[in-house]
Amino acid sequence: MRLTLLLLTISVSAQVKLPPYSKQVLANGATLILMPRAELPLTTVTAVFRGGAEAESVAGLASVTAELLERGTATQSAEEIALAFDSLGATLNSLAGESTLTLASEFLSRDTDRALPLLADLVQKPAFPAEEVKKVLAQFLDGAKSVKDNPQAAAGIAFRRFFYGPAHPSSRPVRGDESSLPKIDRDMIQQFQRRMLVGRNLTVIAIGNFTAADLLPKLTAAFSPLPAGEAYAPIADPGVPRSAKPRLLLIDKPDATQTFFFIGQPGIKRGHPDQVPLQLVNTLFGGRFTSMLNDELRVNTGLTYGANCQLNLNRLTGGLVISSFTKTETTERTIDLALDLLKKVNTTGVTPEALKSSKAYTKGLFPADRLETNDQLTQVLTELELYGLNRGEIDDLFSKIDAVTPQRANAIAKTYYRGDGLVFVLLGNAAKIREAVKKYAPEVMEMPIAKLGMEP
Amino acid sequence: MVRFLVLAWLGVLLLPAQNLALKKHRLSNGMTVIIHEDHDIPNVALYFFYKIGSRNEKPGTTGVSHFFEHMMFNGAKKYGPKQFDIVMENNGGRNNGYTTRDVTVYQDWFAKPALDLILDMEADRIRDLAFDPKLVASEREVVYSERRLSVDNSPEGSLDEQLWAAAFTAHPYNWGPIGWPSDIEGWTLTDLKEHFSLGYAPNNCVLVISGDVTETEALALARKHLEPIPRRAGPTAVRTKEPEQKGERRVVLNRPAEIPFQMIGFHVPATAHADTPVIALLTTLLTQGRSSRLEQRLVERDQIALAVQAETSEAVDPTLWTFYMQLRAGVKTEQAEQALYSEFERLVNTPVSDDELKKAKSQFLANFYRQLKTLGGKANLIGNFEIFHGGADRLNQYAARIEKVTVADLQRVAKTYLTAQNRTVATLVPTKE
Repeated sequence: MRLTLLLLTISVSAQVKLPPYSKQVLANGATLILMPRAELPLTTVTAVFRGGAEAESVAGLASVTAELLERGTATQSAEEIALAFDSLGATLNSLAGESTLTLASEFLSRDTDRALPLLADLVQKPAFPAEEVKKVLAQFLDGAKSVKDNPQAAAGIAFRRFFYGPAHPSSRPVRGDESSLPKIDRDMIQQFQRRMLVGRNLTVIAIGNFTAADLLPKLTAAFSPLPAGEAYAPIADPGVPRSAKPRLLLIDKPDATQTFFFIGQPGIKRGHPDQVPLQLVNTLFGGRFTSMLNDELRVNTGLTYGANCQLNLNRLTGGLVISSFTKTETTERTIDLALDLLKKVNTTGVTPEALKSSKAYTKGLFPADRLETNDQLTQVLTELELYGLNRGEIDDLFSKIDAVTPQRANAIAKTYYRGDGLVFVLLGNAAKIREAVKKYAPEVMEMPIAKLGMEP
Repeated sequence: MVRFLVLAWLGVLLLPAQNLALKKHRLSNGMTVIIHEDHDIPNVALYFFYKIGSRNEKPGTTGVSHFFEHMMFNGAKKYGPKQFDIVMENNGGRNNGYTTRDVTVYQDWFAKPALDLILDMEADRIRDLAFDPKLVASEREVVYSERRLSVDNSPEGSLDEQLWAAAFTAHPYNWGPIGWPSDIEGWTLTDLKEHFSLGYAPNNCVLVISGDVTETEALALARKHLEPIPRRAGPTAVRTKEPEQKGERRVVLNRPAEIPFQMIGFHVPATAHADTPVIALLTTLLTQGRSSRLEQRLVERDQIALAVQAETSEAVDPTLWTFYMQLRAGVKTEQAEQALYSEFERLVNTPVSDDELKKAKSQFLANFYRQLKTLGGKANLIGNFEIFHGGADRLNQYAARIEKVTVADLQRVAKTYLTAQNRTVATLVPTKE
């Protein structure tokens, strides 16, 4: 059956290309990227500042700063800002990521002359009114508490902390936690803004229904007044060393009827020479519905609603992380099966047929996943800037995919999918699973969910 | 992408009116096929809407529609177990499905050369689905795991379930698509087969094809694969009508949680009703954006809520208009409730200004059109209009309907539905672990 069906495989479309764009650098060091796309009557302008959470001294500082950009300038109150954007039917989003702080708005292209000055005001003259600072910090604190009501999200935060360790910025909760947020004050926020939100750290990406000749002078006027400042020197990649021994953290939530788990090991950073083959192998191991993990843990055994393996591709080296969940009683069986599959992909690799399928899957869905909307294209352009890549990253992707041989894929599987030095984080009813999970690591750490986010 | 035709500047409307080119056909077996050509990327989205959901279920088999959604991926005659997913992924495609109280929807997204093949697979499972008892057993566990994820281990999920169970005493909207735990454990093969023969008739299906196709080729392929499938009876009509609510209902859920949560639901008419655009605008005015009334009052001024949202899900029968309040830690739910009600009173007693109505219209329409950014978003919206709003062509008239809403409409609708007698209040009271 399977052989016959493979004959039905149709060759997918030729290489897709990133639409054309232009790039300028202003006197203050800010980079402007313009990609005209006429299909929608909308324009998205995104101001991306390098740094983000990796540049903060206390977890959550970059996020709180980003949030407060929307909440008052020298001339407008928080309420006036909200009203101005809402009245245009425009969106306004500011948030910090691991390596960036972004402020973005999507508005009707014909409103450019109203929306752009509004956005520029937020970037240039944030006022951080004391009352708003107090309110935002209190809201973030309750937000951090509410994460514990979502076991999957809570387990994810605990995993990053336990897996990456304090030297790696990925270990920190980007929106802060109950221990870090009370340490933040208005001075710190203002200092962070003055240091980080400067021309030399800024890339502005505009995509939408405009001509570059029309928009360029407007963007220049909006972002030129920003001081050049000092360019942020990104921290060196601390890497993700493989743990000498397996480690396990068990978070106790006595009312949980399902155990949520993560199993991590070192991966790569964005732009690493192994990236494309590793992505192809990971698609087969844990990146799609028919992947080895989902097929065994969900389809064959009914142990879970879903199982996957995520390859984190950021500026700094990240993890290769299996995650799933299962009812309390089948915790051990499910983790055992996941570990068996890890061993299997390492020792037997992937078949040439499977590799071919992974290539077709990746290429077939790539346009819809990455190049369909202005938001996706903004993300792509941000990554190219941030990771120091060029458009060949997109335009040559299909030929890089085609070049991956079964031998290369299997060498990759052997290198990255290993059974030693694994890091486990489990969240569930500890009384019922404590004994069974001891076998995964020589030492098991345990904490009640109430203590999550209160670590010093 | 969208063919945006700038037809006219409609008075206060900030957005240009926009038309989505739709071609609607009826196959000889009664299946509706709607085609939207979009050549922006070399991909296609196929959405099959079957007009069967948990409203068509009975006590004892609640959740069977959703379970069936899962079983549709477990093998038919030509494409055996696992083959649907394997062949689709081999050919640059992925799929999913979702079940609501009213519909079961199957979604395929793929590179355009695969259209013929995907339609062949879809036809195979509609015509000749297999029922392997072993797969039924394992899929039952998968669905239970999904319930544990989205309901049992989620404060919001469990509270929402309680809200609907209290608000609907007679109509099958009483239970959610996931089904009650004992029913998930109890479905039989016979239940499944019965459900299939009722719901999966071609005459009970709307297919939307959106993407890099031509109308001619897409229709020819739909005819080739789907037209030979014979008509079936279709689900029996849901007779029960929910009696008018005659007084406030309250339900309390005690469970370990950090943050109190409240959901307040009001009975409102089915989506096809003339009041739907008015409710949509009131929802926008109350909860959309930081300048909205409830955000300003509850989150910013009184600082008693972390988040406020409201929605009415698209529904064939009269449904709920629900307000969700995630409160600040330690806040008394009574306080949040009273603040919410006083905002409703303000709506009823004082006419909204023209500027505020204009803002709500701009926001609503901008968000409405934002759903059209992707092929999948368009397919979903087209199908929803066909099923819930009285026809896909109404999608292109919706902006004009929103535009016609007046200040008096807002006041009348608020007064009609947002009443104490008509509400059900579900409150999550956190307990310690």
